[in-house]
Amino acid sequence: MGCLRPRRTQGSPRIPIFCGPFSSKGGFRPSVVKDCIHAVLKEELANAEYSPEEMPQLTKRLSETVKDKLKEMGFDRYKMVVQVVIGEQRGEGVFMAARCFWDADTDNYIHDVFMNDSLFCVVAAFGCFYY
Amino acid sequence: MEPGKRRTKDDTWKADDLRKHLWAAHSGNPKGDKKHREKKLRKESEVDFPEDKEQKHRDPDRDTKHRERPAERDGHASRENPRGDRDREKPRERKKDSRDRDRERHKEKYREQDADKSHSRGKDRDKDRERRVRREELRQTAQHNLLGWQLPEPVERRARAGSKARAEEKERRDEGSEWGDEERERRYRERKLQYGDSQDNPVQYWLYKEGGERRHRRQKEADRERRHREKSSVREKRDKHSREKSNSFSDKEGEDRHREKHHREGARLDEERHPGDTGRKERSSREELRKRESKDSEHRNRGASSRRDPTSSQEGSCALWYAESLVRNNGKDKDSRKKSCREGSAVGKQALRPGSAEIAEIEKEDTDIENAGTDEYTPCLEDDFEDYEDDFEVCDGDDDVSNELEPKEKIEELPLARKKEIQEIQEAINAENERIGELSCKLSQKRGLTEGEREAETDANSSPPRAPVCGIFMDFATASRRQKSRTQALKQKARSTKLLRLIDLDFSLTFSLLDLPPVNEYDMYIRNFGRKNTKQAYVQYNEDNVDRDTQTEEVETKGVWSQHPAEGMAVSGGSGSGDPCDTGAPKVNTPRLSHFLRAACQVIAVLLEEDRMAAEPSWSPAAQDSALRISDSASQLNTSLPFLQNRKVSCLCASQVQRQTVVSVHGPPGAAFDPVLDGRYVLCVWDIWQPSGPQKVLICESEVTCCCFSPFKAFLLFAGTVHGSVLVWDLREDSRIHHYVKLGDCFWTFRTATFSTDGLLTSVNHRGPVQAVEPISTSVYKKQSFVLSPFSTQEEMSGLSFHVASLEESGVLNVWVVVELPKADLAGSLSDLGLIPGGRIKLVHSATIQLSDSLSHKGYEFWGAAQTLSVKFLPSDPGHFIVGTDMGLISHGTRQDLRVSPKLYKPQQCGMRPVRVHVMDFSPFGEPIFLAGCSDGSIRLHQLTSERPLLQWDGGTDGHAITGLRWSLTRPAVFLAQDDTSCIYIWDLLESDLGPVAKQLISPDNSAPLHDIMSEDGEPRQHLLCYWKRKTPLLGEAMGDGCGEFICRNEGLGKEGSCRSPPCCPPALWSPESLSFLIPARSSSPRPWRRVVAFGI
Repeated sequence: MGCLRPRRTQGSPRIPIFCGPFSSKGGFRPSVVKDCIHAVLKEELANAEYSPEEMPQLTKRLSETVKDKLKEMGFDRYKMVVQVVIGEQRGEGVFMAARCFWDADTDNYIHDVFMNDSLFCVVAAFGCFYY
Repeated sequence: MEPGKRRTKDDTWKADDLRKHLWAAHSGNPKGDKKHREKKLRKESEVDFPEDKEQKHRDPDRDTKHRERPAERDGHASRENPRGDRDREKPRERKKDSRDRDRERHKEKYREQDADKSHSRGKDRDKDRERRVRREELRQTAQHNLLGWQLPEPVERRARAGSKARAEEKERRDEGSEWGDEERERRYRERKLQYGDSQDNPVQYWLYKEGGERRHRRQKEADRERRHREKSSVREKRDKHSREKSNSFSDKEGEDRHREKHHREGARLDEERHPGDTGRKERSSREELRKRESKDSEHRNRGASSRRDPTSSQEGSCALWYAESLVRNNGKDKDSRKKSCREGSAVGKQALRPGSAEIAEIEKEDTDIENAGTDEYTPCLEDDFEDYEDDFEVCDGDDDVSNELEPKEKIEELPLARKKEIQEIQEAINAENERIGELSCKLSQKRGLTEGEREAETDANSSPPRAPVCGIFMDFATASRRQKSRTQALKQKARSTKLLRLIDLDFSLTFSLLDLPPVNEYDMYIRNFGRKNTKQAYVQYNEDNVDRDTQTEEVETKGVWSQHPAEGMAVSGGSGSGDPCDTGAPKVNTPRLSHFLRAACQVIAVLLEEDRMAAEPSWSPAAQDSALRISDSASQLNTSLPFLQNRKVSCLCASQVQRQTVVSVHGPPGAAFDPVLDGRYVLCVWDIWQPSGPQKVLICESEVTCCCFSPFKAFLLFAGTVHGSVLVWDLREDSRIHHYVKLGDCFWTFRTATFSTDGLLTSVNHRGPVQAVEPISTSVYKKQSFVLSPFSTQEEMSGLSFHVASLEESGVLNVWVVVELPKADLAGSLSDLGLIPGGRIKLVHSATIQLSDSLSHKGYEFWGAAQTLSVKFLPSDPGHFIVGTDMGLISHGTRQDLRVSPKLYKPQQCGMRPVRVHVMDFSPFGEPIFLAGCSDGSIRLHQLTSERPLLQWDGGTDGHAITGLRWSLTRPAVFLAQDDTSCIYIWDLLESDLGPVAKQLISPDNSAPLHDIMSEDGEPRQHLLCYWKRKTPLLGEAMGDGCGEFICRNEGLGKEGSCRSPPCCPPALWSPESLSFLIPARSSSPRPWRRVVAFGI
């Protein structure tokens, strides 16, 4: 973050960062994450039907798998928050929004939507960088 | 210390109970009694001092045992004590309360254990209140520990213990830090400071009551202490630091200081005792003795305690609790012991005085085992007891004594069953502890916890009295851990604060994760039910004839070749060619197509005619070589059409501009053919290249005497009739406005005249037969030679501004103006009465020229009025014309009635002769000369300016009347003449001006008798060169000098002579009269047939 905003580092101690969004590994890359999420969703919800009893477990399982996969991808020093919402499709309108209090330079999020005839599933993954 | 312990949950009521019992329950155990008792005890102890000493001797041993035993008992043995206590006490009064107390005890144990561990855990918050209480207890104990540890102990042990205590304190502080933070610690300390006042209030208040006495006593003690201090000032210094440390903690209460002083004093004594470690051996050896001996003292003590027991049993919890506290934590025990120690020390001091030998031992023991000391000393030292009465009462110090004594006795005295019971309980307690430990383990972080447990266990194993310390020790581990974590957290916090200056946190953006608009009803319906009642229809290509409606048919294809231009009969071919062009060209530009077709059809028709002509060898020129030497070829017009049969050709006329266009006039039929056509004259317009049939067929009511075409375009045909009318046909008219008849397999349109002067303009119209009709045009000759196109491609009225002159026999020359109406009126015009409905051409009378005047005054009046027979206009000046008469004279006149130099052109012979000048022709090359043919066979060549002719040939035709005379259009010195015997003469003036250079009798077939009516047209045909390439130039030239004549021959007569026109008849170029004259002669023939043959010369 010293390299983040050089103008602001004047007079303030530089804290070296060896990994993170500006390291060679790169930070939270939404495209990669999105692919990952998409793959998971496709695999898990290939022919899923909405049933109120199963959905809680399904959401938990989904979130866990997504989280694990994200961890495997090795975003060092990133705290991952995965939110999964599954709802039934009955023609009602749905609007979901997220608001994050974070450092937009390093933190990011990605979401993916899966829909079939009976349900919609929104997976949002937030990556927050640990300084 | 005891007050602190009483402050557990049960303390509240205990305190009350205490009061009750102290105040109300007078007899048994009230505190007043206690005091008394204690005083008594003290007195007794003073009395029994030696015994006490013994006891002292014994007690240390006991204590050592005590210490060892718990070690053996794994730190829980001490809990037997309460049991033991209780068991012992049971028999006395407590049976009823035993259950409650048990419960309470358990609770308390539990709580205390919890308290110990909860300090470390700090997480069992379910029992907040209890914990708080325990905390307070701990604080108290800590405080007391502090106090206790401030005791100047012998160097090694005390230092060790002190360090331990300090460690414990630290731990506690850490615990405090765990609980809260430093603030909490602070609070904790403050509470420590205050709690003596605040929380111990009931007790301390009570304590203070007797404070006065105590002080008195203490002052006494203080004196003693001073003495002691002076003695042991050296040692004091050694302990100062520890003391000061402890002082710093212990400065809180003045009383405590006092106590400390006592302690110090005791400590000095201890120190004095300390050097002699060997004493311990003695002690150990003595222990047994003591045990036995002590029974008495113990009993005594017990007696004292037992005396108090009822009270303590009523306050049972106190006693039990105290016992438990011993078990629980050393610190507390120590506290208690320390206090007793103080007492002991005080006692010790006192004891020092009496017996120094034993004092050493006692002090050693004291130092070793403070409790023991207290136990031993308390009975001995009445004064001190008085001082600490309160404490004891408050703390149930008696119970202490008894408690501590009891375990040993228990073990010794308790029956096996009891032991088992105790063991069971111990086990249960152990299990409980373990459970709690596990719980704490789980709750606290694993490493530290395991360590803590291990330590705790080891500690517990090693030293049962320290077992409670184990809990604290655990606390220490976790606490340090927590401190670490706290420091780490602090670090992180600092870092975060630094970082936060650099990082911008914002939440301005709102991410829309999902926006699913509501589906409207229709879509929903369609989604759910939309697919119902629908079917998928398949389209297939005849693969398996499943009965479906849609089947495709095979597409038929066919290849056809085509070629242009066509070489054979078939233009396009291929076997069984269908009609691939069906779909072609539905859009037709009709005017353009018709235009094209008209032109193309003409060409095609011409070509077909040529082919047909070529295919007829009989008429080929080769066959007629002998007959037609002057001509290359000849063709015969087809007069065998049904409506032309039995009709004589009376007149033949060719257009001056469009040379191929010929009109033939046919007379009425000899036999009835069609009611429409019968009695009418027929005119046929031919294209000489299409001899098979006429282009147009015109009909006329009256007999046509002469006719001519319009000067520029041959689309107007003018004709004069014997009735004196002038007719005009517009050949462009649409055939639909005319009458048409179906003859054979085709329709023929018979056109009536567009305009007729019949009945019109009667004042100026002709009254006799019209002898000649001539167009008047200036440019006629200029244009004629350059128009090569045989087709009338354009039909504009470009050349319509011309006049037509018609000459009547009586010498009246009428000039008509040809007018084209701008618009055709199909309904017929009211003003133009001679106009056919839908016609656009009309004639307007322009001028009338009377020629009879100029002809009559010559003095030939006896001849009567001269007949005018023909008229010709000078090509170069249409204003001048010449008129042939029947008197051999040619009149010269102008339209403007101007005077002209020769008024008459006369023959070379003078005198009047009845010679009809029937034919005249101006030179086409602009020369002011003209030819005139006379009926006597003479040909005159006149110059316009001279009255007499330049040349005159009288015998050229052997006296036959000249019926036709034409200049060659190509050779200025050549002209052709025809006589009425159908003989053609060719004159070439350059070659010979004496007579004709060639003579040709026109006869279609020499070998056969002439049965056909032949007509010869002598018009120039030079344009034919373009089409007839076979002809030689010579012949071509010959053709250029064309002239023609009609040869009428009756097949029945079979000889030429019959064709001659009657001599009286004026020799007209195309004389109908001659034909009509002949016809009666042949009328006898059964089937006369006639042909009109046009010879191309």
